[in-house]
Amino acid sequence: MTDIPLVPAMAAAGPDEPSRIGALLGAVLPPAACLLGLVLLWAVGSATGLIPFYFLPAPQAVALEFVNNTEVLVRHGTATLTEALSGFVIGNATAVVAAAVLSSVPALRDMFYPYALVSRAIPIIVFAPVVVVLLGRGYPPIIAIVSFTVYFPTFLNMMRGLAAVDADLDELLHTFSASRRQRLFLVSFPTAVPYFFAALKISASSCFISALVTEWIGANVGLGYLVVVSSQYFKLASLWAAIFTSAGLTLSLLGLVHVAEHLCGRFTATAAEMDA
Amino acid sequence: MSFRFPRFPVSAPVRDTGPMMTTTMAASDPGPIGLRAEAVGMTYRRGQHETVALAECSLDIPRGTWASLIGASGCGKSTLLRIFADIVKPTAGVATLHGLSPAQARANRTFALVSQQSTMLPWRKILGNVELGLEVAGAQPVERRNTAMQMIELVGLAGFENAYPHELSGGMRQRAAIARALTLRPQFLLMDEPFGALDEITREKLNFELLRILRETGATMLLVTHSISEAIILSDQVAVMTPRPGRISHLVRIGFGHDRTAAMRDDPRFTACEAELRHALHGGAPLH
Repeated sequence: MTDIPLVPAMAAAGPDEPSRIGALLGAVLPPAACLLGLVLLWAVGSATGLIPFYFLPAPQAVALEFVNNTEVLVRHGTATLTEALSGFVIGNATAVVAAAVLSSVPALRDMFYPYALVSRAIPIIVFAPVVVVLLGRGYPPIIAIVSFTVYFPTFLNMMRGLAAVDADLDELLHTFSASRRQRLFLVSFPTAVPYFFAALKISASSCFISALVTEWIGANVGLGYLVVVSSQYFKLASLWAAIFTSAGLTLSLLGLVHVAEHLCGRFTATAAEMDA
Repeated sequence: MSFRFPRFPVSAPVRDTGPMMTTTMAASDPGPIGLRAEAVGMTYRRGQHETVALAECSLDIPRGTWASLIGASGCGKSTLLRIFADIVKPTAGVATLHGLSPAQARANRTFALVSQQSTMLPWRKILGNVELGLEVAGAQPVERRNTAMQMIELVGLAGFENAYPHELSGGMRQRAAIARALTLRPQFLLMDEPFGALDEITREKLNFELLRILRETGATMLLVTHSISEAIILSDQVAVMTPRPGRISHLVRIGFGHDRTAAMRDDPRFTACEAELRHALHGGAPLH
């Protein structure tokens, strides 16, 4: 550890860091190959009769469904996407604001934190009928339930993340006479970023799950509704198309979260390197 | 001379060692009031159990002079510094910075703290980290940038402003921490073992760089260290602390003036100070 070479050290971020595109390919290719293999197995299984058609139609039948029934899938998919994304945004935003407020005001935290934890014990899905009665049919009750599902992991993680501020940093800001707001934005939020993304990854999938399940109960549009109706009419290709569509939507949102996390890499990666 | 420490054995081992001594003797000049601790005490209570971390600590550091607190781990030297920095409140006595309480001094941003861990925001580049104090103080972006760049240059980090903290060595990070402290143009520099995590070679190099910076800024400094030579190089007076309870047992004047160079280490007076401090640290009575 010497200070002698006083030349700009920018080269430190240079050659051994893989390019962004290379990293992306490395992350995408192996799972894509796995998917391709599964579809092939499926096709072979269906062709040989190993997988009965009433259990899982052949891949080409499901693919045909996507071509012939595009309009139906888009209509129901749009509904589910709207509900899930709205809930995702509302639930996460509420959680971040709630965590920021509760972690900055100890009196409020002491008052509300236990209830924030208890709220998780409520099996929210059984309240779906009640929520439908309260908010009427359509998007509002579903978005409310999705928001509630999404809110909890983010709230909990943000509470931990905001409290994970390095004691020395806290002291530094104290000697700078930083306000509570400055501490929150300069140190607490950046510290909580890795925790936030961990929570977003959970909620990216749970928002679609709870949207689909709620649609079973109180909706006449959406992929969840399409699944129920398709199974009732024994339209298996349509049912599987709906399942794949929702899986695709969930994966897309997860992918977006992943990309966003990479873009915020300096908040997540360097913290670990600092400890070294 | 009103500047006396009747409570403690005051020793000045280099008082009559030659004509050099009579030149700039900043430490013995009463000077305007700088940092002052009056019978500061710190007692921690846990149930019935009491731990006295500091007892009756008094210290006077005139403005523009440099002082060190030296002692073994756990002697309360950091606690005393943290009282000045308004991080902890003393349970007895009064600490003032230029007549202000630590809380007022902190609100006025008249002091800056540099700690052993060059605490940096790992997600910010060096420039952003050095700007942090000014940013919190509400300075305009342009002014912030200019001052930060000026201080980065002063500590010898020019060219590294766009590096992330983890890309720099410990010594360079510590330079950045000093630059950040200087951006607020503090009247008082409170340094808690700033070079404690560095190797001996880097440490000594930074000692003399800090001397130059102190001369250029005219700041008053209180340094906590456990290195005898560092204390001598960087101080007009060294307060020796002993543990359980933490108290100032000796006060040693270092009569080198402020125009110091690395050659001071070869001066016989340096060796004399070293011996005196070593003796004091091992609990001995003053040599003179």
